[in-house]
Amino acid sequence: MASPGTGAALSAVIDIAALAEQLRQVTVEVTDGGELLGSGVLWPPGFVVTNAHVVRRREVALRLVDGRLVHARVPARDPDADLALLGVPGTGLPSATPAEPGSVRIGSFVAAVGHPLGVRGALTTGIVCAMGPIDRSGRAWIQADLRLAPGNSGGPLADAAGHVVGVNSRAAGPLALAVPMDQVEHFVRDARV
Amino acid sequence: MDGLQSLSNDLAAAVERGGRAVFKVAGRPRLASTGVHWRQGLVVTADHTVHADEDVTITGPDGRALTARVAGRDPTIDIAVLKVDAPGVPVADVADSQEVRVGHIVLALGAGPRASWGVVSSIGEGRRARGPAPELLHLDLTLYPGFSGGPLVDTQGRVVGINTSGASRHWHLAIPAAAVDRLVDELMRRGHIPRAYLGVSTQPVRLPEPLRQRHGLDQQTAVIVVEVQSGSPAAAAGLSIGDVIVSLGANRITDPTDLKATLRPERVGESITASVLRGGEPKELQVTVGERPRRG
Repeated sequence: MASPGTGAALSAVIDIAALAEQLRQVTVEVTDGGELLGSGVLWPPGFVVTNAHVVRRREVALRLVDGRLVHARVPARDPDADLALLGVPGTGLPSATPAEPGSVRIGSFVAAVGHPLGVRGALTTGIVCAMGPIDRSGRAWIQADLRLAPGNSGGPLADAAGHVVGVNSRAAGPLALAVPMDQVEHFVRDARV
Repeated sequence: MDGLQSLSNDLAAAVERGGRAVFKVAGRPRLASTGVHWRQGLVVTADHTVHADEDVTITGPDGRALTARVAGRDPTIDIAVLKVDAPGVPVADVADSQEVRVGHIVLALGAGPRASWGVVSSIGEGRRARGPAPELLHLDLTLYPGFSGGPLVDTQGRVVGINTSGASRHWHLAIPAAAVDRLVDELMRRGHIPRAYLGVSTQPVRLPEPLRQRHGLDQQTAVIVVEVQSGSPAAAAGLSIGDVIVSLGANRITDPTDLKATLRPERVGESITASVLRGGEPKELQVTVGERPRRG
């Protein structure tokens, strides 16, 4: 249950650096071995979730936060949902904590970590602008008032607790579009069967 | 991370609270704008987003579509006030916009609801904006399509201004709540929003350096009167063709836009001092701001 707003939050300690660090631990670089293709999120157990448009091949190389380069197969890919699942067993790294589906509200603080324009582990912050379709296609997005750039694709959009609420997919002008958590979980569940 | 969590909760709560008084305004083709239930039965929005005066469809936060009509407009600050019968829709909690400071976190709300956030980047005159008005809030935030006319709220969800992207091409602005309040007061007092009127046509004119020095004027330009309408407030005050208007009341007049911006609706009936140069000599005239006759 959400606590009532007091307007006094700014006087409290706001540790965005800790949030950034927490998210960097679960964000990977998706590469073709050399070139950066996008970002990805370490997903329990032993997977990476990214965008379908980031991985258009059967195998990619992932650079982990500790610098290790590991190869990953692409067992599942759904261009309509713009999601792909990569298998990376035994990295020893912690996985992201998915937020409860539907836990974000309009106005909630959100943060994105990724590698926009090749800048490793860059953080951008904003709020949830709206949720739902942006066009006649009818597909639902988390629309965030937050800056994304090429290289952010496939990276995490997280709430104030660092729990992942969506997978960043693309920018629509100044608006960030992320695949909502319920679609991500649905995709992962189906892909693993 | 408790601080961040509570900031996040505050922001979401502010959107929820502010959003209760937000209307979608279908006042132009294609892109609907946003409006705020300012006082019972009066919805404030951005003037440039409402083309027709009658049969404007507005949709409340509960999804009900209602028919509104324009009760008054002030294009100089891009505000229109719509009259609507909206029982059950709460009116906005309007804050004292005088307390807004540069750096304050603010949220812009659009119908939907939708929200963006940022800070107040400066407060002051909108000098080079299309319709300059005093004390505009300049915003470092994104006004997404359809956000014009919507509320700018503080972190407690209280309305501090009305957002508009129409007043300037370069800035996202908000008209402070105090200015909107004055306008709505005028509307309630008179039954309409008057258009202030002097009855002069003017052109910008450069002030020669010797003249500026002699009279201690720090402005480079002023306006010269090229026409005085007979029977107008300007005629009654004794303004003549060739007079150079330097200031009106406390406002410097450097071009015709300044003159328009000074003639706020609430000044109708007010006697103000026009400082003019006539034949190079300063002269002060008392002019009573009139009301432009209404059409129909």
